[in-house]
Amino acid sequence: MENIIEFKNVNKWFGKLHVLNEINLEIPKGEILVICGPSGSGKSTLIRCINRLEDIQKGEIIVNNIPVHDKSASLTRLRAEIGFVFQQFHLYPHMTVLQNIMLAPVQVKKMDKAKAEKIAMEKLDRVGLAEKSGAYPAQLSGGQQQRVAIARGLAMSPEIMLFDEPTSALDPEMIGEVLDVMVNLVSEGMTMCVVTHEMGFAKKVAHRVLFMDEGKIIETGTPSDFFDHPKTDRAASFISMILTH
Amino acid sequence: MTAFYFERLVEIFPFFLKGLWMTSKIAFISLVTCTLLGFVLGIFRSGKNMMLKRIIGVYVAFVRGTPFVVQVFIIFFILPEWGLQLKAFPAALLAMAIMGSAFICEIVAGGISSIPKGQWEAAASSGLNLVQQLRWVILPQAMKVILPPLVGQFVLLIKDTSVVSVIGVMELTRVGWVTVVRIPEGLMVFSLVGALYFVISYPLILLSNYLEQKMAV
Amino acid sequence: MLADFNLRIILEYLPLFLAGLRSTFFISIVSISLAVTTGILACACRISGIRLIKYPAIAYIEIIRSTPLLVQIYFLYFGLPTLGIKVPEIQTGILALMLNSGAYIAEIIRAGINSVEPGQIEAGVSSGLNYIQRMRFIILPQALGVTVPPLLGQAIVLVKDSALLSLISVAELTRAGQTLTSERFMPSEAFFTVAFFYMCIYFCLKALADWSQRKLIFREAY
Repeated sequence: MENIIEFKNVNKWFGKLHVLNEINLEIPKGEILVICGPSGSGKSTLIRCINRLEDIQKGEIIVNNIPVHDKSASLTRLRAEIGFVFQQFHLYPHMTVLQNIMLAPVQVKKMDKAKAEKIAMEKLDRVGLAEKSGAYPAQLSGGQQQRVAIARGLAMSPEIMLFDEPTSALDPEMIGEVLDVMVNLVSEGMTMCVVTHEMGFAKKVAHRVLFMDEGKIIETGTPSDFFDHPKTDRAASFISMILTH
Repeated sequence: MTAFYFERLVEIFPFFLKGLWMTSKIAFISLVTCTLLGFVLGIFRSGKNMMLKRIIGVYVAFVRGTPFVVQVFIIFFILPEWGLQLKAFPAALLAMAIMGSAFICEIVAGGISSIPKGQWEAAASSGLNLVQQLRWVILPQAMKVILPPLVGQFVLLIKDTSVVSVIGVMELTRVGWVTVVRIPEGLMVFSLVGALYFVISYPLILLSNYLEQKMAV
Repeated sequence: MLADFNLRIILEYLPLFLAGLRSTFFISIVSISLAVTTGILACACRISGIRLIKYPAIAYIEIIRSTPLLVQIYFLYFGLPTLGIKVPEIQTGILALMLNSGAYIAEIIRAGINSVEPGQIEAGVSSGLNYIQRMRFIILPQALGVTVPPLLGQAIVLVKDSALLSLISVAELTRAGQTLTSERFMPSEAFFTVAFFYMCIYFCLKALADWSQRKLIFREAY
């Protein structure tokens, strides 16, 4: 299967801090990849590099045969193929739910409004919030806002969806509704990279788990291999920490 | 004697109205140019180009650090030495434009930087380019922060038009200055001048107060 | 070449500039002190419940804020003699600056007082403190952090405003520039020097204002 995302000898520094250390990674099309690790391990930075929210100093990242950090690369084309869901949702507070979802299709893909609205309502329905199309983000709960954020990411019909700790900012009782939506997406054959601690989600749908610490990929494996039989000490202690949480 | 002067004042009242009209013209043109320029500068000032930010920063510091009257003198007396000879009215407009846009630049930059970084990232992640990000996501939100101090700045600009009287522009303050020579009733003349300024600026002050309250909710 | 010329003349007139600078300092310091006093008084009247002193205070503040400073200066400069009051221009100028800044300072103080959270006042009332004690121990110390930076900002504005006094023949910094221009036809040397001195004052005051902003903000700890 061809690789849709490739990291080749990627290195990044924040000043003196080596946040990404010789990252080599191949993500085949349709893979569900979960990335976990202690805070500061570089996992968020890693996926933020994929859609160039972050720059790298060394190495190469290739997405869909487009070298991401090449100066001539079209950011618009790249980002239209990637949906990004943030930990803090970042819905546009001055727009309704529907307008939030419609903005990119209309402005970037130059879609006409009627068609964009149809697609937006369809995605909104998929995340179970069709009745909230006219509401403003402030009127929604955290879990609902995040689901709208997912619909917003899906509106561009991307090939890749990236999730940066999508449930970390949510109250416990709302985590489930968001994870359910994400599980639902799996059946579509979409490529997904999810930074998360939610082991249940990983075990259920992930093809592969990546464990990072101090900027390096320490271990990878299938969920059952990784969670039940970690190969390294660091992975083992990390897993026991999130278990006791 | 006072009654006599009062009558004469009433006689030349149209002169004051002409001055008020000139003040309004200068104020209106300045509001428009300063707002347009100020927004452009403010957007660049909150952008990524460090060199541009520094240059604008120096320009703003100069405008904020020197008295407006000195800036007016510089434009009217010094520019001719470098080849740009301006009549009083255009010089006044230029001085107002340079001064006002610096202050509006800071207001706009402040408003834009109050928008959380995540909004920029969310907009960028869906493929919107810089202009689209500003147009649809950032500026609409920033306007709530920008509007009250912006209207306040408009009031200040209207009052600052009085300073261009020093280079001979026949606006309201100069009318008073010229009148008081013939009608030596300083209190009367400048009360009238003040009252006319009050008439054009107080509505804006009320608007500014109203906006401040509304945006604080 | 051009630079030589510039500097020689500036050095020749340096005593005049320095005298003007001293005068500007003097005017600014005296005016801002008087303005703070005026502002405190006006603010006290403004927030009082007694309509007889509240409404005049509001009128004073609104009139000052809606009319240009230059008009206020001319009003006093041309108006006071008609009342038989003959004062040196510098005093007229200081009076104008005092009244002008006083109104803005009154509003700054008022905003500072209003910025203290009502919970603080309730706590004071509950412990039995009277109005003066609440002001002295709870409200004013906290209002300070919100008040001092804009106050310093107003001081910067006042220094720049003092330049208008040159138009009523007060011998301060801007007037030094005007003198050099009229005597030697060298506006560049004159006004760039003047601008330079004002920028120095500005940067000093701005540094002070920024420093105070960092040091004086108290916020409730949750």
